[in-house]
Amino acid sequence: MSNLQHILVVDSDPVAAMVTQQGLQLLLGKDVEVSLAPSPGAAWLRCMRESVDLLIVDPSPPGRAAAALIKALHDERPHIPVVVLTAYDTPRLRSQMKRLGVRHYLAKPVELAELKNTVSSVLASLNNAQASPVIH
Amino acid sequence: MKQQSVSSRRQRARSANGQRDEIAHLRAELMAAYARIAELDAQLAASIQQTRLVNERLNTILTVSAALLITHEIDTVMQVVVREAVHLFPDTSGALLFLVDQGGMRLRLAASSSGQTGVPVLRPGQGLAGRAFLSPRAMLIAGPALEDALSELSETQSAQERSALTYWPPSSALLAPLRIEDTRLGALVVYGNQNPHLIHPRDIPFAQALADLTAVAIAEHRQRTRAASLQRDLDQTQSLHAEAQARLNAAQAQLLQSAKLAAVGELAASVAHEINNPLYAARNSLYLVEQDMPPDAPQRHFLTIAQNELGRIARIITRMRDFYRPARDELELTEINDLLAETIELVQTHLRHGHVTVTASFCPNLPPLVAHPDQLRQVFLNLMLNACDAMPNGGQLHISTELSCRNERDERWVVIAVRDTGVGINPEHMPHLFEPFYTTKPQGTGLGLAISAHIVTQHGGHIQVESTPGVGSTFTVLLPVDRGVEEA
Repeated sequence: MSNLQHILVVDSDPVAAMVTQQGLQLLLGKDVEVSLAPSPGAAWLRCMRESVDLLIVDPSPPGRAAAALIKALHDERPHIPVVVLTAYDTPRLRSQMKRLGVRHYLAKPVELAELKNTVSSVLASLNNAQASPVIH
Repeated sequence: MKQQSVSSRRQRARSANGQRDEIAHLRAELMAAYARIAELDAQLAASIQQTRLVNERLNTILTVSAALLITHEIDTVMQVVVREAVHLFPDTSGALLFLVDQGGMRLRLAASSSGQTGVPVLRPGQGLAGRAFLSPRAMLIAGPALEDALSELSETQSAQERSALTYWPPSSALLAPLRIEDTRLGALVVYGNQNPHLIHPRDIPFAQALADLTAVAIAEHRQRTRAASLQRDLDQTQSLHAEAQARLNAAQAQLLQSAKLAAVGELAASVAHEINNPLYAARNSLYLVEQDMPPDAPQRHFLTIAQNELGRIARIITRMRDFYRPARDELELTEINDLLAETIELVQTHLRHGHVTVTASFCPNLPPLVAHPDQLRQVFLNLMLNACDAMPNGGQLHISTELSCRNERDERWVVIAVRDTGVGINPEHMPHLFEPFYTTKPQGTGLGLAISAHIVTQHGGHIQVESTPGVGSTFTVLLPVDRGVEEA
């Protein structure tokens, strides 16, 4: 099994999406592959077919596709952690995301360094979970 | 001459017997005249007596009339009436004046010649006063009818009535209703003594006259009282109306103002959200450039400036959004000191522009509160901005926190005080400070303190204000430490 961890970024704002993808790729190095999904639908397909370790998504309006993606992942692929990175931070969105089981919530314009720290710690916790023997 | 003398002698002889008769006759006439004189004397005396009595009554009526003119004190008038009534019948046992209450069901003793008032209280028709009240005109009562009337009193009423009189039971009494046209106001009762002939039927018209005068006085007094009260009501209504109109105008203006502000706030929030994406991209692109740049590169200087300025934009955007942020649902363990420090940070620039210096003294061991931090931030923000508005020429803003045990049940409270050295609050505004849409500022919404008070109340706390015009104001927020938030 390859050690390469796969992060998928989906964001309706193309420039922001690109900065997230390229920035994280630069900061995290070669052990991680950061890629872009053009739409929540595309992201959903890739989560179902490929090995995705972490999804970074902006559920900002307009449209509810991103929020639907988070809900679907929560139901179908609960092991894939989700980092919400939103330009539309409101208390309502925050509590909605919490209800959908999102544990990592960042508001733009967050600094990349902070996003990287969050992503790294999530990935590290995944590694630890894989490394430690499963006890029944 | 001789003839004359003979005839006169004859005459004398003849008249000796006749003279004796004549003398007897004259004596009888004289006696009759004396008797007549005595009779006339007696008549004269009676007439004088009568005149004196009439004079006295006239004087009494004049006294009472004068009293009516001089005094508007109805109690004084009634007292004069009962005193004069007794004065006129020297041996009467007393005079009592009863007034009916508004419902027309109870007659209460309002004045008496003994000075007693208040009791007894009688029903219309009951006892002497009750009969007088219902009677169409003054009357004299004596004998079985009087005994009948007295027997209707309870023992208490009887004792009360007796205590206002000098003799009991009376053998006669004068009853007079106090009435104006068809309105019954009360009754006047003059009590006789043991002599059933003390009071004479001819006294009846006088009693009626006295009663009529009294009734006029009472009616006039009531009209005057009513007119005064109507005038007061009218004044009050007018001032209330003016006040309501002013508040309505103010509220309409505020409503418009707050609707505008809400629209502006919403716009600001949506702009803030729109800006987040480009800001995120720009800021972090620069960050990535910086990662690749050698430490000594000359461009680094401008890069740092650009990054700092973008950071500043980010903070401004956050602040803009904070003004409009709706309340977050979740409760959090909240450090009040941290929250206050953040809020001070938020208004720092505003305060600096207003030449306001801030000092803070925070209690170091304040326990965290379970609270809505966003809501409390809004409260503190309102209080600080208000304080700043109160100091148009600059001043001192002092924020302090302390932990206090406010009562015997050992409840602990966090006390947050926001003190300014501003213009103070006019006492007339004090009662309305926390009413929605009440504002003294031309650009105010009148919502800040209303919302603040609501939020604090929801946290189980309260806001207090102390203010001295020209010296400054202190708003104190008290929040309970050991109590949860009352969910609205």
